[in-house]
Amino acid sequence: MTRWISAVAVAVAVTLAGCGSTEKKSTSATSDVLRIPYLADMSVPDPDVFYDVEGNSVILNQYEGLLKYADNSTKIVGALADSWTVSPDRLTYTFKLHPGVKFHSGAPLTSKSVKAAFERRLDVDNAPAYMLKPVKSMSTPDDLTFVVTLKSPVNPFEAYMASSWGPKIIGPDAIKTHAGKDFGQKWLATHGDGTGPYKLTGFERGRQYTLTRNDDYWGTKANFKTVLIKITPDIGTQRLQLQNGDLDAVVKSFPASELETLPDDVVVQKKDSNLRLLLYVNPNKAPFDDPAVRAGLRATIDVDQYAAEAYAGTATKSVGAYPEALLADQPTLPYKVDDAAAKAAAARASTKKITLAYTADESGVQRRVGELLQAKLKTAGYDVTLREVQLPDTYGYVKHLKTAPDLMLQTNTPDAAHPDTWARIVYYSTGGLNFFGYNDKQVDSKLDAALDAPEAEATKLYQEVGRRVIDSDAFFFLGNVKDVFVLRDDLEGVTSTPEYPWTIWYAPLKRAGT
Amino acid sequence: MIDLIGKRLVALVAVLFGLAVIVFVLQAVIPSDPARAMVGASASPEAVAAKAHELGYDKPLPERFTDYLGRTASGDLQSSLRTRNAVTEDLRTFAPATLELALSASVLAVMIGVGLALLLAAGGRSARVLRLVLVAGASVPGFLVALLAILVFYSGLHILPAGGRVTDTLVLPDGPTGMLLFDALVAGDPGVFGSALAHLILPAFTLALVPALAIARTLATTLQQTMREDYVRTARAKGLRERVILLRHGLRNSAGPALTMGGLQFGLLLAGIVVVEQIFSWPGLGLYLNQSIAFSDFPAITGTTLLLGTAYVVVNFCVDVAQAAADPRIRTV
Repeated sequence: MTRWISAVAVAVAVTLAGCGSTEKKSTSATSDVLRIPYLADMSVPDPDVFYDVEGNSVILNQYEGLLKYADNSTKIVGALADSWTVSPDRLTYTFKLHPGVKFHSGAPLTSKSVKAAFERRLDVDNAPAYMLKPVKSMSTPDDLTFVVTLKSPVNPFEAYMASSWGPKIIGPDAIKTHAGKDFGQKWLATHGDGTGPYKLTGFERGRQYTLTRNDDYWGTKANFKTVLIKITPDIGTQRLQLQNGDLDAVVKSFPASELETLPDDVVVQKKDSNLRLLLYVNPNKAPFDDPAVRAGLRATIDVDQYAAEAYAGTATKSVGAYPEALLADQPTLPYKVDDAAAKAAAARASTKKITLAYTADESGVQRRVGELLQAKLKTAGYDVTLREVQLPDTYGYVKHLKTAPDLMLQTNTPDAAHPDTWARIVYYSTGGLNFFGYNDKQVDSKLDAALDAPEAEATKLYQEVGRRVIDSDAFFFLGNVKDVFVLRDDLEGVTSTPEYPWTIWYAPLKRAGT
Repeated sequence: MIDLIGKRLVALVAVLFGLAVIVFVLQAVIPSDPARAMVGASASPEAVAAKAHELGYDKPLPERFTDYLGRTASGDLQSSLRTRNAVTEDLRTFAPATLELALSASVLAVMIGVGLALLLAAGGRSARVLRLVLVAGASVPGFLVALLAILVFYSGLHILPAGGRVTDTLVLPDGPTGMLLFDALVAGDPGVFGSALAHLILPAFTLALVPALAIARTLATTLQQTMREDYVRTARAKGLRERVILLRHGLRNSAGPALTMGGLQFGLLLAGIVVVEQIFSWPGLGLYLNQSIAFSDFPAITGTTLLLGTAYVVVNFCVDVAQAAADPRIRTV
């Protein structure tokens, strides 16, 4: 019996020692470790394969491209390239590389390593490879000069280079040492070799990823020695851990409705982003195959209500068919709540039973917008079923248009801050985010013409596309969604970029007083 | 006994075949496009078609079904569309955490269940109060119990962690099983052992609550009947103490129905794991399955479903064999 009691006593003591971590509320606040949660594992930390949102910060704090967007701006500036020029025929781009840059493996960055990284992206040929498909040839006149020649002018090419998913310069550790037979994909699934302020030193799927400060970084060195990305799938648990000091920030999907009830030692920062909430309309089946019935939806759209009630001030009214930063002088949106007009249009509808889908999101905000919209549509005379769907399922709708939902809410962001990267995936007849197969040949031809047109002409063409899309009533633009960062109040130096959604730069972050 | 084992093995294969068919039908019915999900929104229709061809999604349904069955039977679960690893490799990564949690929860369920049953069989006010508490706990949905437990023990009392398997700054032992308690013991690492134990308490208790009560109810009822049997009366007449009769004679002869109930409850426990792992950030199969569902990652969903299904069938198979060993009459069933 005594032995049993001793064993239990030891177990209790050891367990309490293990529990210690929960009692030290200020541990993270005094340590050199930054703790950030992810709601789910990222796919893979390989910049030539990764094409999601969850995981952006691991890629962007570890790898750099030739260009990037300036902090809190959509202005393109140099990253690994100090400067660049474009030939008058817009076919040749010459990048001058920053001298003295080293990869995490210690190898120096040269134009040959940039060329090898570009070639790898084309060899791997995964989702982000499309940005380099227009490349005809690449050359390296000297160690710090890299020249790209395109097959034909591509207006968004610089935007591609600055994109979150744009070409990142991967070092020789992956491209040569661990290339294997798959261009280093197996190795890069758990390792990294970039030039950024942090190195990937641990990748434990389902648990956490460890980023360690790159003390040889060529730019301003990071303040935190270690960043732990913790996989915490439940937003409620994230909130409690943030309040208890076990997390430093929640940067994605924090419920807008809870922002007002946070304790004093937690602060909220709202930053502009290119995220847009869209209402997709299925024009391929009744009742919205009738343009007059579709037009009636305009009278049910109450963007002020969505911004105030669903987003609790974390979204603003959309101006046109593109995120504002992407295109100047956009055709404006003709939405005005009018119950009588909505009822009259609904009366024409051949069926009143409709399905309104929304893609699943942890914050619950799309469901809330869906409920508000459902109420308005019911008042107009529709019998609306609200249904949550998973994002990958929505890709299949275009093959099953007759059984797809009638309406769908989804938040999207362009790949880069250029109108083509938005319009081509959302409005083009074969666009990947054109879920209900909107098909306007004029839109397609105008987008194709704009791709290599001179800037003024291209702008005019994008504006015309915007006008046609708005007039089609196949898409409704419900709001510009802000990036909402919920942080411990001692965290300083938060910088973000509208084009890199739900992502903060870890390097400038620091604790107050350090 | 060999007959029984043979029949149960045939049933196991049939159940797994049924599961495989169900998962395939679900995959065929849901209008998702995994090829598009993989290549991204900006990919050309040609690139999407090429990926669909590579993954075999462009083949006729019957051909896909026979391919799928053949591959699955040979243990090739394909690669995850999300992690890009072989699904078998992912399962090896995530299964130990689930196994550790499920085993701990099962042990806890049996301990609480048997303890409560003995208390109930012995009678007394404390047993009735305890049963009321457990009934109340078991009637609340698992996710609410989990959230309540986190609120009380993590947020309120600061005595237990809210999630994960171990404190994030600890280096995990590279042990043989992937189960941290065991591996930490083998490695002689009390820090990891203590932390792992602390992290295990809330999820294991949340999972164990419902099975514990079911086991307790079944066992208590059977115990009460058993304690009225003639041989128990004889034992009492011989002057044996009540506790000895209860433990030595009553418990053993009442174990059959409780064992069956335990096996059935294990299935519910596995179902609960998906929710519990999500809330407690437990990096096991439930979390892997949840993430895979959100990505329509059917190879991963299929692999996890088959593995969890196999675990359920194997546990019930073991229960059948244990029952047959305890009661020879069952061997002819």
